[in-house]
Amino acid sequence: MDVRAIDLCATTGTSRLHRASPITKLGAFVLVLTAVVVQQNLFIVLACLLLLVALALGSRLPARHVFALAAYPAVFSLVFAFAAAPDAFTGAVFVVRAVAASLAAIVLLFVTPYPQLFAPLQRVLPEVVGDALLMTYRSVFLLAEKFEHLRVAIRLRSGLTHGHPVRALRATAGALGALVLYAFDLSQREYDVMRLRGYQGRLRITLPAAANRTFDAALLASAAAVLAIAVIFRAAGATLTPWSWLLAAAAALALLATIAGRLVRT
Amino acid sequence: MSHIHIPDGVLPLWLVALGWAGALALVWIASSRARRTDVRRKVPLLGVVAALVLVAMSTEVVPIAYHVNLTVVAGVLLGPWLGAIAAFIVVVMLALLGHGGVTVIGLNTLMIAAEMAIGWGLFRVLARAFGRRHVGWAAAAATIVTLAITTTALVGLVALAGGGAATGRETGALDPRSLTFANPFSGGIVSVNTLRGEAAPAKPAAPLSVARFAAVVYTLGPIGWVLEGLVTAAVLSYVARVRPGLVFGQAITEPERGPAGDEEAH
Amino acid sequence: MTPDRIYPATGHDHAHTEGCDTVVRVSCVKHSYEDGTHVDLCGLEFTADRGSRVAILGPNGAGKTTMLFHILGLLAPQEGTVEVFGVDPSSRWADIRRRIGVVLQNVDEQIISPTVYDDVAFSPRQYGLGEAEVRDMAEAALELLGIEHLAARVPHNLSGGEKRKVALAGALVMRPDLLVLDEPFEGLDPTSRTALIALLRTLAEERGVTIVMSTHDIDTVPEFADYAYVLQQGGRIVLKGTPAEVFARVDLMAAGNIRPPILAELFAQLREADPSAPAPALTVEDAVLALGAWKKA
Repeated sequence: MDVRAIDLCATTGTSRLHRASPITKLGAFVLVLTAVVVQQNLFIVLACLLLLVALALGSRLPARHVFALAAYPAVFSLVFAFAAAPDAFTGAVFVVRAVAASLAAIVLLFVTPYPQLFAPLQRVLPEVVGDALLMTYRSVFLLAEKFEHLRVAIRLRSGLTHGHPVRALRATAGALGALVLYAFDLSQREYDVMRLRGYQGRLRITLPAAANRTFDAALLASAAAVLAIAVIFRAAGATLTPWSWLLAAAAALALLATIAGRLVRT
Repeated sequence: MSHIHIPDGVLPLWLVALGWAGALALVWIASSRARRTDVRRKVPLLGVVAALVLVAMSTEVVPIAYHVNLTVVAGVLLGPWLGAIAAFIVVVMLALLGHGGVTVIGLNTLMIAAEMAIGWGLFRVLARAFGRRHVGWAAAAATIVTLAITTTALVGLVALAGGGAATGRETGALDPRSLTFANPFSGGIVSVNTLRGEAAPAKPAAPLSVARFAAVVYTLGPIGWVLEGLVTAAVLSYVARVRPGLVFGQAITEPERGPAGDEEAH
Repeated sequence: MTPDRIYPATGHDHAHTEGCDTVVRVSCVKHSYEDGTHVDLCGLEFTADRGSRVAILGPNGAGKTTMLFHILGLLAPQEGTVEVFGVDPSSRWADIRRRIGVVLQNVDEQIISPTVYDDVAFSPRQYGLGEAEVRDMAEAALELLGIEHLAARVPHNLSGGEKRKVALAGALVMRPDLLVLDEPFEGLDPTSRTALIALLRTLAEERGVTIVMSTHDIDTVPEFADYAYVLQQGGRIVLKGTPAEVFARVDLMAAGNIRPPILAELFAQLREADPSAPAPALTVEDAVLALGAWKKA
């Protein structure tokens, strides 16, 4: 997982989705996630997935990183589907639903800087948990950088080669050991700094307002519509199910239109 | 295969809700315990250890197939209560990256918190039994047993979910045995009869197959347990050699302070 | 040290301060680390007076950072005494912390908030000030350092010099009376360094801020410091005085493993070759004047 790429996209992106209020985005995410989870219908879940892909492409998210991340849940749900699903069709629903839910989270992460995403959460969580959640963010960058340096040093000194798993494992373990010690010293220094700067509990973060209220409203409305459709199709059951392929087809058209739009502009 | 890669929308709602309730209660209790002593020291420590686990998880020892978790290391360093908070933070961040579903954050938190707590307890007992010279063996044994226990808990979870994962046609699911595509133009000029199937009677869905799931995780799992055991052993014996206080101490309240600033460059 | 500096009545707590305008005093502090490293900050007494800029010089491992950590109360003296604003900082940090701004060596670790603005606003928010007041203070600090344009940025995408400025803004936001800086010039390009020296001078002269800093960057000392202390390996404070006084002691500098500024070395060697050579000048302008006068004579 390339945290840096995510962070760069989230903080420097300029799409409408980037500029929407973080609370709106969180709300829309919850609605879409609920829609994906309540639905058992392959076509409807597929429609959500296609719409999310269109959203990712339309917001010019770095496709390589987004889809690499989405591949993880695909692989694991495939294993799960193979292991536990009673038949291929249910298995397919598992996979599509897992990828759609993850993609929703990934898109959210790519268009919202982490602190803004976690600030609303931090406000409702206990003080220690919320503050530690925010501190984790800075620490991940510091540790990832240090770990990279350690691995380079070990590779240069002892020859960390692919194709020799035992040696690679040993070298990685050595780097991790050094990283653990560095992490502890880091926490000590961070504690010193927080004490010096007057930390008394509860970090405060400023949340940006929406750049365009109409867009925010539209975003929430579309997410609500997705959920409404999912709920209606579930409630109506057998009556509407034969028509559900239309939704997937419409979503596929929307995706094609987005791709075409991108091609035309570039 | 240690932490759950169960995707969103596979487990029944009651199990998911129970997971959330359990995890929130655990985190709440853990944070009120943490508040009794110096919170300022805990916040950077938690942030750093959570970041450590995240950085370790992003490291693939053998590409794709296996990554380090360091959950037992984190448990040994933090103890069970702070470990529970770190588990929650790690799971929330992983869910946003698409590793593990958002709705199963609760269950995943319980699982990783259990991994940390069991690992911590086993390591303390075994380290005392084996003596300080054999930290590595104690760590490896503690890790393998811990992962075997949590994997079994995972299988238990799927067994619990077993019949609950309703995929019946009446809920709006598509049933492959009665797959029908309704055509909006069918009443019009052209009737696409090929897409019409027979109306099928509603059937109860087949349950998740627990036996096959168990077979998969118990064959793939042990490789992961052993690798994780080796890495944990290497990391903990490294730390035990350099800073024994971190490994053998009580819960960390007062990290050892190394020489400040430029004195480090002896 | 400078008797013409008058101590204004800014707060009643100064009444406890002995020596009327000594802000920091470190007397023969000894510290042993768990790994067996000993630092004995004995020899001369370390003092910093109000509104003065004091530099601490010394080789790696001399204990510069240990000294600063004692001043900041991060380490409690195992022997000896430390006084900051008349109190022991390790036990009464809460009473004096609002008056002290700090920038430690690794600024990356010092920036704890996720955005530049939030980081600069960290201290006033923690002290419970209202959001409007916090905004005014944070904006003033950002403006002081000329980094208003960075406010919305994320710290880890900044350059080293920018991070240092952000950390400084975070230290200056509470308008401290004492500023403690560990290697403040590291990672700054020449322009930023000159600007920082000018800023520190303004703070000291106009606001009466006392500045204590450790540095390796010997050439900035004549421009920056009113006084300098020299630490030897192991922490012994062997020398104290104005930069001119300190750098005149080439022997002690060499013994302490500190390379004197290039101009000091030049004048010392001139003196050796020709006793009529002028007294050492420490800035280029002074050197030009002195050498010009020598040539005429």
